[in-house]
Order: sequence, then structure tokens, then C-alpha cells
Amino acid sequence: MKKITSLLFPIVSGVALIAIWYGIIILFKIPIYVLPTPGQIITAAWTERHAMLASALLTGQGAVLGFTCAVVGGFLLSMIMAFSLRLKKSLYPYILVLQMTPVIILAPIFVLWLGQGLPSIVAITFMICFFPIVASTTSGFMSVDKNLLEVFKMCHATKLQEIRYLRIPSAMPYFLTGVKIAGTLAPIGAITGDFLAGSAQNGVGGIGFMAITYFSQLQTASLYASGLVACLLGFGFVGSISLLHWVLLHKWHDSLIKKE
Amino acid sequence: MIPNSGDCVILEGIAKRFTKDDHVLENISLKVSKGEFITFIGPSGCGKSTLLRLIAGLLKPSEGIIHINGKTPELADSDLAFVFQDANLLPWRKSIANVALPLLLRGVPKLEREAKARMMLSLVGLNNAENKYPWQLSGGMKMRVSIARALSISPKILLLDEPFGALDEISRDHLNEDLLKIREKDLFTTFFVTHSVAEALFLSTRVIVLSRNPGRIHTTIDVPFSYPRKPDLRESPEFLSLLAQTTRALRAVL
Repeated sequence: MKKITSLLFPIVSGVALIAIWYGIIILFKIPIYVLPTPGQIITAAWTERHAMLASALLTGQGAVLGFTCAVVGGFLLSMIMAFSLRLKKSLYPYILVLQMTPVIILAPIFVLWLGQGLPSIVAITFMICFFPIVASTTSGFMSVDKNLLEVFKMCHATKLQEIRYLRIPSAMPYFLTGVKIAGTLAPIGAITGDFLAGSAQNGVGGIGFMAITYFSQLQTASLYASGLVACLLGFGFVGSISLLHWVLLHKWHDSLIKKE
Repeated sequence: MIPNSGDCVILEGIAKRFTKDDHVLENISLKVSKGEFITFIGPSGCGKSTLLRLIAGLLKPSEGIIHINGKTPELADSDLAFVFQDANLLPWRKSIANVALPLLLRGVPKLEREAKARMMLSLVGLNNAENKYPWQLSGGMKMRVSIARALSISPKILLLDEPFGALDEISRDHLNEDLLKIREKDLFTTFFVTHSVAEALFLSTRVIVLSRNPGRIHTTIDVPFSYPRKPDLRESPEFLSLLAQTTRALRAVL
């Protein structure tokens, strides 16, 4: 019963929203190039489905590659910084500097270095995803329970054992929180990358590139449809990361244990 | 009676200061024979936990020498096990893996350490909990897992820092009785810290009352009751009179 009502609310609100949408278009006689109806957007998405799928795959590829580099790089860098306070002090300010530099300015630099296309898109996605992972994972490595450290000390664990059996599992929830945030940013990063540094290889561009094309041709319904595709891509990304989070933590971490 | 094969732990003129003027412990000298059960009791801030940590080698004394079977605590570490105030279990490991942790860190092969861990769990009465995570256990069960973990390395000396302080009285009494039973089998020397006079007397061969500011040995009370001790010892007149005597000594240092 509870499940039905919890499903009912978003369905009702969704239907209401679409009705208002149609109402406004009919009432104010808004032309299609300003605001298409949901029906027209779906139709546009369907007629352009091959192009849409191709560009979603291209953007997805950029997002996955940039995200993966950020996850691996961020984890390793955090681990290194967690074990040498000096190294952390030397590196962290510059990581912040990189984070503070807007992507809009970094993008042309990447294009100069790597050219238009996938490598630049991956680099831009990486830049956007990297910081949240480093910030949360570092704090995870640093905030290990002092009492558990004493247990390891009493067992005369080596530094390596302490990392493997204590610090990495302790940091896992923090790391995964960073990964989750990065996961929501990755598709946006890749689309931004497309937008700023994308190119149409063999006539296929990423979602960001496609959006520019539709905009310049005033194909507003298709422009909206590309937004819809980007949204689906984002949900797919976040969904898979949530699944990973659950798989790794559901057996022991407070955030996922259902207590009766 | 206790088999007396010479002194096992010797403290000579131990002092501990965390800062220059902060005298936590001063002039603590103590000889403990193998198989003894020593309890430190005293007001908060008398340094009893610090003393336990010094013996464990988790802290270094500012003055004095500690001998454990003729060695310094750092070198004697393989003989020592520590049970902390909190169970301090790793939340991502099942009971059996928590108990096996010290063996894992010593490089004992998986099958061997799991067999030992299973044995230790049944020793503390938790045969059915080996696949449970810490969040699935009650406070008393967690403490039992923690004790099993300490015992997994078959220590010669067991140190317990107020292990049952957070438990209700019934669980605490049960754990006290079980601790003595386990000790019957494998006569490790025990150092125990508590706030409870009854617990101290029920468990120990000797109760040492510490005064505070700085922590010094105020009184030593020899507990004459023989082992194995039955739960109804707690109601006997001799026990109650010793309880009154110890409480008076404790009141004197408050």
C-alpha cells in the first residue's frame, strides 16, 4: 500500500506538469521553435534516434574514461597524501588552485595540447570529477578510528597491513561518497567538454556538440530531445554507481543497514 | 592456589608524565607472579588505564623499568594481549574474521587461523555468531568477540581496561564468571582495570587501590578465596566483609 502511494505521487505530479505544459502552449500560442510540446520532443527523439544513440555513446565514452581516470587517480593520490603529511601540505593547495580554475578557461588549453575531440573531453571530465574524490577520500584516510589504530598497534601490524586491513576499508564509505558526487558530474563534464572541445568525427558528435548543431538550425524539439538523452545518460551513470555503493557497503555500513 | 614459578611482571619505580607538571603516575613498584590476577582500582584520573597501557607497551614510562618475563614490553609483545574499554571490532569483518585478525597480521594461514578463531568463539560462548557482523551483536556479545580476539594469540599476559564498564550488571556478572572459567583452562597472568569493587574482588588474587594526583599505590588487598570461584561467593560473609574493607580504602583516596 505504501509502495503504491509513493509511486502515485510522482506520477500524478508528472501528469499535472505535462498538462500545464500543453496548456501554456495552447493558451499563449507559443511557436514550436520556442517551446515544443512533450509529444513533439518524443517524436524528434524517435526520428533522430540513430544520431541520438551514437552521440550518447560518444559522450558516455568520454564520461566513463574521464570518470575512471579521476576515480583511480583520485584514490591513489589521496592514499599517498594520507601517509605523508608533508606531501599533503605540498600538494593540496595546488589541487585547490586547479579546482578553482574554471573549466571554460581550461578547455581551450586542453584543445591546444590535445586537439579537438575525445582526449580533450576526457581531460575536461577528469578535471571536474577529480576534486570531489580527492577531497572526500583524503578525509576518509585521515579519520580512522583511533581505537582501532591501537588494536593494530597492539598486534604489531606493519604500515602496509594497517593500510590494507584498516585504512582502506575505513576510507571506503568516504571514497564512495566522492565517487557518487563525481558520478553525477561526469556526464555533465563530458557534455561540457563536447560543447567546448568537441568535434564531429565521421559526422557524429557528442551530445553537447549535437545540441549546438540543433540550436544553430533552430531544431528546438531536437535540442530538447538531446537534453532528455543527456538526462537518461546521467541517471544510468548514477544508478550504476549507487549499485556499486550498495554492493560494497550493504553488509556493514550504517548508511545501508536496515534496522528494525 | 596459584602456581608460583617466579616473578613474571616487574614494575620498578614507574612514573609517567604527559607534560612536565602533569604527574599521572609516580613511584609504582610491583611484582606479579605468573598466573596472578591483578586488578587496579581507584578514582577517575588515578592513572589506572595509563598503568595498563605502560605494561602493554602502548605508552613508555617517563621513569622506571618494566620487565615482562625478563624483557621490555616492546620485546615481550608476542606474549601480550589487550582488551580495550570498547570492543573495537572492525565493522566490515564478521565475528570470526575479527577474532582471526591478530593471527592474520602474524601471517597465520587462513584455514589455521579460522579454526583457531572458531575455537575461541566457542570458548566465549558464541558458536552461533561467527558469521555475524558487529552491528548484529549486543554489547555483551561484542565484548566476548573482543576477548576471543585477544585470546586468539594464546597470550601469556592478558590486559583488560574496564572491559565490562558499559554493560548491565547481569551481563557483567556472566562475563566475569566466564572470564574466570577461561582462565582456569589457560592460566594467563591477568591485569584488569575496573571501577567496581565487587568485580575486582570476585576476579582477582590481588586488588591494588590507587590514589590520584599523582597516581600511587595506596593499598594492596590480597584476596584469599580459592579458584574456581562460584557465583554465590558474592553473597558470602567473608566476601562482603572484604568488600566493605576495600570500599573504605577506596573512600580514603577519593
